[in-house]
Amino acid sequence: MDLGLQGKKAILVGAARGIGMAVAEILAREGCDLAITARSEDSVKDAVAELSKYGTRIIGKPVNVKKADDYKAWLEWAVEDLGGCDIMIPITSAGGGMGSEKYWSNAFEVDVMGPVRAVEAVIPTMTEKQSGSIILIATTSTGEAMGGPQAYNAMKASLLTYGKQLALFHGKNGIRVNVVSPGPIEFEGGNWDMIKGTMEKFYNSQLRQQPTGRLGTPEEVARCIVFLASPAASWCNGSHLVVDGGFTNRTHF
Amino acid sequence: MDVKRKVDIIRVNPQDWPNGTPTHKEEDPDLGYDVIPAERYYGEAFMKLEWDRIWSKVWLLGGRSDDIQEPGDYICTEIGKESVLIVRQLDGSVRAFPNVCLHRGNKLRPEGLGNAEHFQCMYHHWTYDLQGSITRIPDLDTFPQGCPPGAALPSYPCEEWGSFVWFSLNKDVGPLADYLSPMQEHLGPYNMDRMAWTRDITVEWDCNWKASVDAFSEVYHVQGIHPQLQWYLDDTNAQIDVYERHSRYLVPFATISARVAMPSAIPPAIYEIMVKAGMDPAEYEGRVSDIRRDVQIFKRKHGKAQGKDYSALNDDQLTDDYHYSIFPNVSMNVHADDIMMFRQRPHPTDPNKMFYDIWMFELVPEGEEWPERPKHKRFKHGDKSIGQVLDQDAFNLPTVQKGMHSDAFPGLWIGDQELRIRHFHKVIDDFIYGPDGKGPDDI
Repeated sequence: MDLGLQGKKAILVGAARGIGMAVAEILAREGCDLAITARSEDSVKDAVAELSKYGTRIIGKPVNVKKADDYKAWLEWAVEDLGGCDIMIPITSAGGGMGSEKYWSNAFEVDVMGPVRAVEAVIPTMTEKQSGSIILIATTSTGEAMGGPQAYNAMKASLLTYGKQLALFHGKNGIRVNVVSPGPIEFEGGNWDMIKGTMEKFYNSQLRQQPTGRLGTPEEVARCIVFLASPAASWCNGSHLVVDGGFTNRTHF
Repeated sequence: MDVKRKVDIIRVNPQDWPNGTPTHKEEDPDLGYDVIPAERYYGEAFMKLEWDRIWSKVWLLGGRSDDIQEPGDYICTEIGKESVLIVRQLDGSVRAFPNVCLHRGNKLRPEGLGNAEHFQCMYHHWTYDLQGSITRIPDLDTFPQGCPPGAALPSYPCEEWGSFVWFSLNKDVGPLADYLSPMQEHLGPYNMDRMAWTRDITVEWDCNWKASVDAFSEVYHVQGIHPQLQWYLDDTNAQIDVYERHSRYLVPFATISARVAMPSAIPPAIYEIMVKAGMDPAEYEGRVSDIRRDVQIFKRKHGKAQGKDYSALNDDQLTDDYHYSIFPNVSMNVHADDIMMFRQRPHPTDPNKMFYDIWMFELVPEGEEWPERPKHKRFKHGDKSIGQVLDQDAFNLPTVQKGMHSDAFPGLWIGDQELRIRHFHKVIDDFIYGPDGKGPDDI
């Protein structure tokens, strides 16, 4: 099956590691030009170098998503330098945390306004082109409680609603918006790698909850994200795809 | 070393801190690579040598000065077959005596803390004053031979240093200061006298006392039994220094071991370090690799307002573990805000057992009330948890001890990361075999 990604232009917010890096890798391999970012200059440099081996155009600059003006300027630069945008995938997250009110403003700025600003930056060019695809990244922790009451889960849940609204509103302009909710994903340097090392019992309890007895890999989520983002998924709009290896209990009835 | 990343730990420049704890790396002595004989861990003859030439000869840690503040306050502690009474005198000095009635050998006081106006044996009520002199023998006229010689308990040398009380069973022992040197220079900058007890536990462990000293003399075991600590400290960048008798290693805390990938989220134990320092991890904008330095800067800036005087400590000491071994049996994890230390005592008769004393202290901020002293607890190996990390430390020791007896195990195969263990055994040799060193049949 041809995903139809050859020659597309994609912008990824947060692509230096984990799921973001895996998405970038597949998109580059499939022939997309990419604009990527991450917090640190070194990580962006490394990722750009790594992704360039597939022969498409890869550009990148570091930015702190929490700094609204810098972030908006980065988005503007990415759209302009790339010469448009067919695919937008904001991935960066502030992560979890309890005990400080600051976690709420962090999650709001990064997990909510990160995607909101990314979407607003590309809607004009996509509308003009009457074509575009946006993927928002939520989490299985939106549908099933996990990790205690915290901003991360609640803020991520808002993306499910927002994604559907976007899909309905912009569908007429050929813009599709879908949401992907990954379950626990393990990779070197990721949270679950650290949890495995620091909270072995909890980690094992999560493994037991996985029908296959393991956590997912970034590539397994990335392939689903890339499929939904690609023209091959042209009839998917406003959908929510849970990619968790069967981790969550609820039925999508 | 099996590492995933190259980590350059930035340490303070020794020249910048001329008056504080020495930080320069000592040159490592050449102690060879011989096997350390396993028999040292179970042989009764070796145990006897240790008693005759170490335990009964050197200065030993007896307790905490703040447990005996008032005249008549005493600490009754045991070492091997001896029980020792350490008593605060009317003039504020400390004295130590054998805890044994000169009449029929009964113990004058059970192990532990207390206050007494005098010490009366519970058997026939022979009575001694705070200086150890006999003040009453009931029916003295029925002892035609009179009082035991001197009419007093013999005295043991006893001195205080660093908020601790030290004693020696050797009446001819040299000054404590000479024995401890250079620890005073190293530990003096910490406010040990402003730290209060938080834990006082004794566990009877099923291993030789040296197996316990060994266990706390290297960080090589972190990757083996404390995987979680790799997201808390860098075990691959420990600085080891050995001195004449004592030794140390300096381990960077609030950082990530080079053995694991650098995470992007703050690990739980480092989160706790930040909270304890008064930082809000949610506000933190730096990278995980910057936290150690930022905690140092934060504590330097805010310590005074928190009632914590860090002025004599260098920046590394605000985060790192300065871990000292005071020969023969004291292991101390020394930090700016707390000390976790272990006193490792031999069993009186069985080389396969020991007493593991856990002593923990926390800095009391200026103006805050001194917390109530926790009661001493005592139990056996594995009966109760002593916390995740120490449980992990304890777990292997009984099987280590069993393995020492195996005909297939000649002894310890020690690497460079375990230099302190080799040095520890070298100091034991110095005491046991003297200046001429080991003979061909010595173990």
